[in-house]
Amino acid sequence: MNENSMSGVPAVRVSIESSCERQVQEVSLDGVETYVPPLSMSQNLAKLAQRIDFGQGSDSDEEDPNGQSRVSDWSKQDLEGEEGLVKFQPCSWPWDSVRNHLRSALTEMCVLHDMLSVIKEKKYMALDPVSQDPIVVKTPQVFQLISKKKSLATAGQLLLRGAEKLSKSVAESQEQWRQRDFNAELLHLRSQWKLRKVGDKILGDLSYRSAGSLFTHHGTFEVIKNTDIDLDKKIPDDYCPLNVQIPSDLEGSAYIKVSIQKQSADIGDLGTVNLFRKPPKAKPGSQVWHLKLEAAQNVLLCKEIFAQLSREAVQIKSHIPHIVVKNQIISQPFPGLQLSISLCHSTTDKKNQRASPDKTKPDDHLYVLEHNLHQLIREFHKQTLSSSVMPHPASAPFVPKRLRMAGPMAYDKSEISSLQHSEGLLEKIVKQAKHIFLRSRTARTIDSLASRIEDPQIQAHWSNINDVYESSVKVLITSQGYEQICKSIQLQLNIGVEQIRVVHRDGRVITLSHQEQELQDFLLSQMSQHQVHAVQQLAKVMGWHVLSFSNHVGLGAIESIGNASAITVASPNGAYAISVQRGNIDSKQ
Amino acid sequence: MEAPPVTVMPVTGGTINMMEYLLQGSVLDQSLDSLLHRLRGLCDNIEPETFADHELVYLLKGQQGNPFILRARRSLAHPTAPWHLRYLGQPEVGDKSRHALVRNCVDVAASHSLPDFLNEMGFRMDHEFVAKGHIFRKGALKVVVSKLSRVLVPGNTDNTEPLSLSYLVELSVLAPAGQDTVSEDMRSFAEQLKPLVHLEKIDPKRLM
Repeated sequence: MNENSMSGVPAVRVSIESSCERQVQEVSLDGVETYVPPLSMSQNLAKLAQRIDFGQGSDSDEEDPNGQSRVSDWSKQDLEGEEGLVKFQPCSWPWDSVRNHLRSALTEMCVLHDMLSVIKEKKYMALDPVSQDPIVVKTPQVFQLISKKKSLATAGQLLLRGAEKLSKSVAESQEQWRQRDFNAELLHLRSQWKLRKVGDKILGDLSYRSAGSLFTHHGTFEVIKNTDIDLDKKIPDDYCPLNVQIPSDLEGSAYIKVSIQKQSADIGDLGTVNLFRKPPKAKPGSQVWHLKLEAAQNVLLCKEIFAQLSREAVQIKSHIPHIVVKNQIISQPFPGLQLSISLCHSTTDKKNQRASPDKTKPDDHLYVLEHNLHQLIREFHKQTLSSSVMPHPASAPFVPKRLRMAGPMAYDKSEISSLQHSEGLLEKIVKQAKHIFLRSRTARTIDSLASRIEDPQIQAHWSNINDVYESSVKVLITSQGYEQICKSIQLQLNIGVEQIRVVHRDGRVITLSHQEQELQDFLLSQMSQHQVHAVQQLAKVMGWHVLSFSNHVGLGAIESIGNASAITVASPNGAYAISVQRGNIDSKQ
Repeated sequence: MEAPPVTVMPVTGGTINMMEYLLQGSVLDQSLDSLLHRLRGLCDNIEPETFADHELVYLLKGQQGNPFILRARRSLAHPTAPWHLRYLGQPEVGDKSRHALVRNCVDVAASHSLPDFLNEMGFRMDHEFVAKGHIFRKGALKVVVSKLSRVLVPGNTDNTEPLSLSYLVELSVLAPAGQDTVSEDMRSFAEQLKPLVHLEKIDPKRLM
């Protein structure tokens, strides 16, 4: 500090020079001097500050206490250093603390430097090599650690601030996204369902009216924006900003059940069919509302089918009236047999559980008929759509063209009524049920015969190509091992709705009724006939003589179908004779 | 030969007394496409159909009172289709609040010998015209957009001349008498066609 006051003396001189004399920038040819304009206070300060050489300045400070090394060097530097420091002093108040700090730091650094240089010469001081390492190494490590810690803390703070901003903006955009998402969902909904705006509501149409349905249910649903979600909580995965509200009577799931049973003695417990399917599993990628709407539309269609069937059941006059009880329609296709069509509609899970005991019952669904019912109602829809043909000439009213032809073509009553009459859903489905029943029973009859009787063999070849009202089966009766000798009997059975037509290979056609016994008897008689023929063929091959052969002998017990036939054969040498008579019940030998 | 007595009593069609509810308007030829486009959007989803009809209007004049008018119409596009004979009554007066013109209407499908039959009965053809255009339906509503043409040579429908540069637009419903709700439906449908065409209740008597 003494140095400072000492160096103040020459500083006065320097400052006077600088303030009085301006530097000559240029001397022109005519001797005029151009001066450099004097620096302003701040410019001057900046200029001076640039000239500060702290290292040198402090070195000079350190010189006195140590005072031994490189005196010549220091003296030179001293002058410059002093000059710089002095120039800077008078106007250095705002910089004072900075300067002081730097100075103290430099002082310490210089002490350190000098000590090191002293130690280096090893004349006056020596450092223990063991203790030297920790001192030299430790200090910078601590420094490094602290600086590292500080910079890391700053960096960490910056990152935290950034993260905060990001999370805020994410939350904001999510809110916007949700808003946009509703509109996107609405657009999606619009592309699949009919929507219209009524007041401030968005209503949709579930009904099949545009497809030709005449069902009176309005079938409207409402589109609701799903807003009851907490923004702070995590959004559930199945969250959908759009929800639909369907009429309460279309909720849940429904299906039509068709079954054929042996007639129950009592119909008191009818009308309470309660079989429910599990709710369909959500297909991946389809929205909740879509599943809901599809289920509701299915309920609507089932209701329409059932309404149509029950209307027809009441209107149509049949020999055995159809019974409509609660959610069940019962019809008698054949005596002792009942066809029941029921509408099963489950609204809540609770009911589902209650109905679970019923599930233990055998599953007697006739899926084919259920499917056909759906197909039939759609055909019906299509018919109503296509029936609306434009009238020609254009002034004519909207009536079916054939009906308009009735007057000019002078149709009579029967022709008109035949025009108007079309088979209803119920009639068609009853016919289909009859056919299905007849077919399955025919198959069962043939199978049971085939398993019961080993000789001759019965083979049945069912045709793949069939109709809802007709199918056919080819029946072959053969004797195993003797196919070469005796021809097999081939029968073509055409199974219809009410009866079975049998076509022989020789073209004879026999019509059997729906009674199981008739078919069985017929097949038995064919089999026994085949046996007699086989005996005849075999006798010929073996060289036996046929003494007599008759397909219709008037002997024995009267058979219900056909007459008994008999054959008598004699051995080649005539020593033995065998007589075979066959009847439908059994063959005697 | 004396003309048969003519009754001025309204004709009723059998047991059900059908009424025609009618709104009419017209559209210039240039705007036809946009109107058809709008109608296709509004009406039932059936393939749009065109028609070409020939209408003959027959009169039976009595000694006194108004002549009795019958309209016979046949389709030129479907020659085998039956003829259409139509009686239209006088528009019902009264009820100004009703949105559509209401008149008695009897529709009969007839065989192809209808003109001869009418002639035999003493009817005389008053005028004839050809109407070609488009027909739409929406439920019970029938919309007919047609161009009317004058027949230059009587009976020859190939030689015609358009009556005007516009198309006639008719919105009609056939309903039993007293069902005034249909006129409400018609009005709301007509609203949807604005401003392409203004369908109004036009009293033909005022124009005569």
